[in-house]
Amino acid sequence: MNFKFLTTLFALSALLVFSACDDDSGSNFDGPTVTAPSLTSVAAGTTGESVTFTVSVDADLTATYAATGEGVTITNASGTVDGTSVTINYDAGATEGAGAITLVVTDSEGQSASGTAVLNITNENTVRVTGNITADETWEAGKCYILAGRITVVDGVTLTIEPGVIVKGEAGTGPNATALLVARGGTLMAEGTADAPIIFTSVADEITPENIVAGEFASPNLDPDINGLWGGLIVLGNATISASNDDGQLSEVQIEGIPTSDTNGLYGGNDDTDNSGVITYISIRHGGSNIGDGNEINGLTLGGVGSGTTIENIEVVANQDDGIEWFGGTVSVKNVVVWNAGDDAIDTDQAWSGTLDNFVVVTPSGSCFELDGPEGTYTARHTIQNGTVVAITDSRTTGGSLIDVDSGSKATPVDMKNIHFVAPLFVTNDDNENVYLTMTEDEVELAAFDNVTFDIAAGDLGNLMEQGGAVPAGISAGGSPAADVSVLSWTWAAQVGGLDGL
Amino acid sequence: MRQLFILLLTLITLSVSAQQGTIRGTVIEDESGFEVMFANVLVVETSGGTTTDLDGKFSISLEPGAYSLKISYVGFQELTIEGIEVKAGEVTVLDNIRLLEEGLELEEVVVTASAIRTTEAALMTIKKKSPAMLDGISSSLMKLTGDATAVEAAKRVTGVSIEGGKYVYVRGLGDRYSKTTMNGVDVPGLDPDRNTLQMDIFPTNLISNIVVSKNFTADMPADFTGGLLNIETKDFPDEKIISASISLGYNPAMNFNSDYLTYEGGDTDFLGFDDGTRELPAGADAAVVPTPVSVIQGQFTEQEATDFISSFNPTLGAKKETSLIDFSASLSLANQKKLGGDDADKGTLGYIFSLSYKNDYTFYDDVFYGEYQRLADPGTYELEYANTQPGQIGERNILVGILGGLAYKKAASKYRLTAMRLQNGESRAAQFSIDNNGSAVGQSGYIAKSDNLEYNQRSLTNILLNGTHVLGDSGWEIDWRLSPTLSTSDDPDIRKSAFSISETNIYINAGEGGNPSRIWRSLSELNAVGKVDIAKNYTFKGEDAKLKFGGSYTFKERDYEILSYDIQFFGGSQSFPSGNPDDILTPERIYPTGNIYYQTGNIEPNPNEYNSTVTNTAFYVSNEANLFPNLKTILGVRAENFVQRHTGRDVTYAQGNEDGNNLDDEKVLDALDFFPSVNLIYSLKEDMNIRAAYSRTIARPSFKELSFAQIIDPVSGRIFNGSLFPYSDWGGQLVETRIDNIDLRWELFQERGQIFSVSGFYKSFDKPIELVRIPEAQTSAEFQPRNVGDGQLYGVEVEIRKSLGFLSPSLDNFGVNGNVTFVQSEIDMTDSEYNARKNFERKGETIERTREMAGQAPYVVNAGITYKNLDAGLDAGLFYNVKGETLEVISSGLYPDVYFKPFHSLNFSINKRLGADKNTAIDFKVSNILNNELERVYSSYQAEEQLYSKFTPGISFGLGISHQF
Repeated sequence: MNFKFLTTLFALSALLVFSACDDDSGSNFDGPTVTAPSLTSVAAGTTGESVTFTVSVDADLTATYAATGEGVTITNASGTVDGTSVTINYDAGATEGAGAITLVVTDSEGQSASGTAVLNITNENTVRVTGNITADETWEAGKCYILAGRITVVDGVTLTIEPGVIVKGEAGTGPNATALLVARGGTLMAEGTADAPIIFTSVADEITPENIVAGEFASPNLDPDINGLWGGLIVLGNATISASNDDGQLSEVQIEGIPTSDTNGLYGGNDDTDNSGVITYISIRHGGSNIGDGNEINGLTLGGVGSGTTIENIEVVANQDDGIEWFGGTVSVKNVVVWNAGDDAIDTDQAWSGTLDNFVVVTPSGSCFELDGPEGTYTARHTIQNGTVVAITDSRTTGGSLIDVDSGSKATPVDMKNIHFVAPLFVTNDDNENVYLTMTEDEVELAAFDNVTFDIAAGDLGNLMEQGGAVPAGISAGGSPAADVSVLSWTWAAQVGGLDGL
Repeated sequence: MRQLFILLLTLITLSVSAQQGTIRGTVIEDESGFEVMFANVLVVETSGGTTTDLDGKFSISLEPGAYSLKISYVGFQELTIEGIEVKAGEVTVLDNIRLLEEGLELEEVVVTASAIRTTEAALMTIKKKSPAMLDGISSSLMKLTGDATAVEAAKRVTGVSIEGGKYVYVRGLGDRYSKTTMNGVDVPGLDPDRNTLQMDIFPTNLISNIVVSKNFTADMPADFTGGLLNIETKDFPDEKIISASISLGYNPAMNFNSDYLTYEGGDTDFLGFDDGTRELPAGADAAVVPTPVSVIQGQFTEQEATDFISSFNPTLGAKKETSLIDFSASLSLANQKKLGGDDADKGTLGYIFSLSYKNDYTFYDDVFYGEYQRLADPGTYELEYANTQPGQIGERNILVGILGGLAYKKAASKYRLTAMRLQNGESRAAQFSIDNNGSAVGQSGYIAKSDNLEYNQRSLTNILLNGTHVLGDSGWEIDWRLSPTLSTSDDPDIRKSAFSISETNIYINAGEGGNPSRIWRSLSELNAVGKVDIAKNYTFKGEDAKLKFGGSYTFKERDYEILSYDIQFFGGSQSFPSGNPDDILTPERIYPTGNIYYQTGNIEPNPNEYNSTVTNTAFYVSNEANLFPNLKTILGVRAENFVQRHTGRDVTYAQGNEDGNNLDDEKVLDALDFFPSVNLIYSLKEDMNIRAAYSRTIARPSFKELSFAQIIDPVSGRIFNGSLFPYSDWGGQLVETRIDNIDLRWELFQERGQIFSVSGFYKSFDKPIELVRIPEAQTSAEFQPRNVGDGQLYGVEVEIRKSLGFLSPSLDNFGVNGNVTFVQSEIDMTDSEYNARKNFERKGETIERTREMAGQAPYVVNAGITYKNLDAGLDAGLFYNVKGETLEVISSGLYPDVYFKPFHSLNFSINKRLGADKNTAIDFKVSNILNNELERVYSSYQAEEQLYSKFTPGISFGLGISHQF
């Protein structure tokens, strides 16, 4: 009696649990399932490739498969299913673009399921990079390298990128963002030339090594204001940073744009002559994916990079965050174009103590100069000189300040020399009033100016100060472009006439 | 569920034979509170009778009239109960029949029926002789206080505090050191951020009692340190219940407020679940989704991209709508039926069924979140703001609960099957004004406004199958339980949109307020528990003694996944002059007509997806005996073999990078632990005990803590990082905390449940786990659970429950109760924390190597004044609760410590029963009479405190009516 009652209770509980899971399908056997692998890139013309599908078939049944391909030639187009996977062997076709392999599994009850593996058939000169650079490696001229994730050149390792190489980041945001990160102690030898620059861009960019050879450095299909398609180039070093610490015990911090879970994102130290390599003639485009609110990747991020590093002839186009951002460090940079930054064009933090020399800034969405003071008690001055700024064009307007410096306890110690802001510097609003772009609302305090000129009438100079304060010494109306754009003629900006007249 | 319902309806119709009435009663030992089995119950007038069953219960059917019962049992004085009224078709319940042990006086004891009808007194008796230090609240007190949910009821228990209106912890120890069980078995916590079960999902009319054990005995799970709270659901009703209740709640700041924020949800929101409106769009979980990039690459067409983007719900803004009144209703049915009349062999069948519904509105119109930093200069004391975020939050909370139970009892065996389903849906809409300070460390500097839309739906389905057997007169008792629970917690389509605001433009900027984002989170957990407890009652040196042993096996499995998406712009304008978030996803803005598309933040495999399992196999043996006269000794040891396995990976691995970390069903915890417990109870007098206890317990990391998950709170932007990431001086190996506990207690019991006690306790923590703010992360607020330095705490607790009748007989109906706990805690800082603090040492400040434990309140005060007049059917109470300033977030140097400020909670309730049979009750309550605010503040040496968060719950009023048919 007791046992019977118990059994009834069990049955009742089972009913309660499982009543929601009734299987309404006709067959008494489970239907098969097919799960396709995620997107795979394969170079055009390669043979002996394979993709593996995960399949399931009711244990009491047998099943066969049939595979069809698009853009590929399949060598085992049909067969019987044995186990929980089916591997399809194929040769990639010669045509670049999308390909696909569709697998249909049919069981002995006549039930079937299918799945499609999408293939990205790339140029045979395309190399997909999935792992960190943990041994010295060279990326060869004439090839295109795809960043499948956040690729790090780790401590003690050198990555050499030959002139004319194109590096493309896959799409994604958040943890899925792609970037090239040179960790502390890692070295990047990216020595492009004016004739064969190294391009960092998105996989959506159809630019090829052949374009580079032909001297066509502009993107054939993406506008120069499309940003956020991939991450960016991040270089980290062991030089001093002023990061909110007093006695140097917290001498390292995590770089913006890299999740805290990745220790390769730490930067800062006490080796001011640290050498992270040579970076010349590179153009970084369409990057800046964000990994969290207010936490994006700059076009070129320089965190604690030492003065032993050479960085010259840099172009950053359409980055979702800042164009170039320095976090402390001692490295100097020269010959720069920052075009259509999604946030600030030139951004300095944590007492960077190098020099930015000879540059052009064109229409950032944020500020032209976002210059922050030290965050710790360590402080140092940096210099920004010989530059031309285009704040407003027919199509875009700077969204933030012309120059934004900090005041108070974090006042920015910066010397700005020979910098010219070209006209116009105001927009006309709906009421037909001229609304001027402005400099920082704060006192400039530790910032010193020498021959910083604005192409406006002398009487309008006062409009530049947001709160109507006194115009600092060294700032005057008039002037003419101060950058030497002749050395920037290799850039996309120059090639489409963006630097004409400067 | 339908089958069960039909069965219940059938049972309802099986009513007691109409012309007869029934007496039901429970016989307990006065001293110990234990039920007396097989006691003789004689009806004086008819000479008929019966015996009590294994629960000490009996039931006798009689013609209407007045009767007396004589209760007798070997070794106890015979008890006569007079004046028992039996009415046709009704049940007269004698809940609490106490038998006194035989002493010198052998005269029989006579009481009246009305004198034995308070269950609060019974609970106090259980505590008196219980091996563990217990506190509790019975259903009768819950009724008195008018508490609607378990969380409100539990805070009346000695030493209990409530956090966030949902979570219970004991003696001011944090959530980590508390545990909740239901019907004595583990039920998973629904919130992935918590170790314990949230209590606001249990309506009180499903609950028989709540008992809190403050120290460990070997028959309890070892993973609690502050307190083990058990919720027992109702099983055998003593009388037929058909009752219904309706309550209304009104908060002037929250209800009928035309500023209340909400957003367009689904048609079934009012039932606590989403109808699919917030479902993930088709194809969104693929590794590659249709975007301009994948269109260019030839994987999708432009039309597919348009369709995909358009398949996301275009509502991104909160809207104002007048909130309605809070409403709740419940229906309870219960009865028992003797199969075969008074023939005890056929057994008794009981059932309960309860349905409840609750709909609450919450509106905070001045919420505040802040981030404040120390400046680098040691001579500057005041804090600088990094980000301030004032705003409004509107919430609608639906709770549906269904409980069904069947029980079958024979003289020596009892079986019960209960099934419970809880469904909870919380819809939330919020708007904030963000002021980010560009000159603060790691901040971009901007002004923005944001709209946040969230929905959280949770469910819990629990089945309990329980058998209790008494093997004749042998003294053997067996209790076994099987309890599977399936729980889910989903956040479908959390949406956040922020516009940056300048003097001339309203726009979206990734580097400022961020691009509009959406998140889908899902959690499901299976929890299966089987346990057997065997007890043997025997006599040792002429005194009752008890040997207990048993075992349990627990299997838990959790699946967790987060999917996230961001709006991106394919070039072009990012201005939105209207500033209206609903203008973002308009057809003309969507790619390729416009420039907006959705990019996936998910990789295959997903680093924010994990599967974890736990198996815990436990055995224990415990013996309770009076080794010396008046000294009850309970010695026990429990062994638990706990294995936790994890399947998950970090971002680096997920991106195909072999340097990353990947775990494939690998052991992350594996330990066999022995937990000894010694409890000594020395009876100084009949009504006075001294207790001493030692035990070892454990606190284990949660599933989430032992994972690679990175979970962002979309409102505050604060990010949780699973502990498996090695970072800086953290090695990624989070381990259990083992705790040694010593308790001492002196207690005095007086009649009618009056008590006075003083306790002292000491606990030492080996490798406690705390949530640490990562100092190296300055651009985002990153937290990680880590083992920190060893800790210890000691405290004293005073408890009183006293009738004021001793002052003057006219005050006999008034009582006071309360408890005060003071705790001093100390933890050794890790080098990393010490250095981080030292870096920001202010002038004149001395950074110590130790500090208080996070989450440990320095004091907790609960106090209440009650009025009970059973004859007039009037109960009232005024209750006060406060917890001392508690460290919540540990400083990273740059960011100071965050403390939770004392919240002075004062609540009043009154309950009046109406009608000849007092079958109708009206209750009225007022909550937060002092109109206190919930504040967390940044606190730094010599600096003015600055807000970390602030909520204003306001004063709320509740009015309810219930009727027993």
